Amino acid sequence: MTMCENALLQKVYETGFALDEVTLYLDTHPSDNQAIEYYQYVKRMNQEAMAAYEKVYGPLMINQVIGNGWNWVNNPWPWEGGM
Amino acid sequence: MWRYEKRLQYPVKISQTNPKLAQFIISQYGGPDGESAAAMRYLSQRYAMPYKRGKAILTDIGTEELGHWEIIASIVHQLTRNLTPKEIEESGFGPYYIDHTTGIWPQAAGGIPFNACEFQSKGDPITDLFEDLAAEQKARVTYDNILRMVKDQDVCDPIRFLREREIVHFQRFGEALRDVQDHLDSRNFYAFNPAFDRQTPPARQ
Repeated sequence: MTMCENALLQKVYETGFALDEVTLYLDTHPSDNQAIEYYQYVKRMNQEAMAAYEKVYGPLMINQVIGNGWNWVNNPWPWEGGM
Repeated sequence: MWRYEKRLQYPVKISQTNPKLAQFIISQYGGPDGESAAAMRYLSQRYAMPYKRGKAILTDIGTEELGHWEIIASIVHQLTRNLTPKEIEESGFGPYYIDHTTGIWPQAAGGIPFNACEFQSKGDPITDLFEDLAAEQKARVTYDNILRMVKDQDVCDPIRFLREREIVHFQRFGEALRDVQDHLDSRNFYAFNPAFDRQTPPARQ
C-alpha cells in the first residue's frame, strides 16, 4: 500500500482495499461467519473514512455531493497525482 | 476507482427470445460504434483533457457507457436464453453459437471482433471532443437501424432509452467543446495544443 500525504485519504485507501479483499474472499466463501463479521467491521470503517475525507475535501463518489455547489468538477482528479 | 452497483441503469425484461435480433444488437456491445468503444474512448481521453468540466464529463459519460454496455449484454443474454439447436440453425445464429455458445463476446453484427482501432484518443482536446460528438451520432444511427428491425416492445423500450442517451451525451460534449474553446484563443483555436504545448495563449483583446 502506498503512503499518501493526506492522512484522511490514506485511511480511505486502506479501508477501501480491505473491503476489496474481503469481498473477493466472501464471494468464494459466503458462509464464513468470521469473514462476514470482518466485512461489517471494514464496511463501517470505510464509510467513516470516506465521510471524514469528503467533509473536508469534497465528494469521492457521485452520490455524495453535499450542499448547493457542484464541487464534483472543481476538486482534483485522481490521475493528476494529488490524491 | 469503480464500485459496482447491482442493477442496470434501465431495466431489461424480455420474455420472447430472438437470436436473429440478438445478432444485430450485439453490435452495440463490440461493434464499431458500440458501448465498449464509447466507454474506452472517453475514459482514455480524460488524461489529455486540461479543463475541469471536460475531465468531469468524460469521466461521468465514460462511466455511464459502462452501464450501457451492461444493458446491451443483458438484452443479448435475454434474447438468447433456452435456445434449441433448431432455433439456432433457423435464425442464422449458428456461426456465433459455434464459437461462443450463448456467452457474450464483443463483436460487430457482421462478426468482426472488437478492436481498439474503432476509437481514437488523440491527445488533443478539440480533436477528441469532435470524435466524441461523431461517436454519439454514429451510435444514435445504429440504434435507429436496430429500432427498424425490432417489433418486440420489451426490446424497443431499453433500446429507445439508450438512443436518447446518445442525444443527451452529444449535447453535453458540445458544451464541453465550447468550454474548451473558451479557454483558447478565439482568433485561432488551433494555435497550440493545450494538452501538450507549454506555450501560453496570447492575451485576449
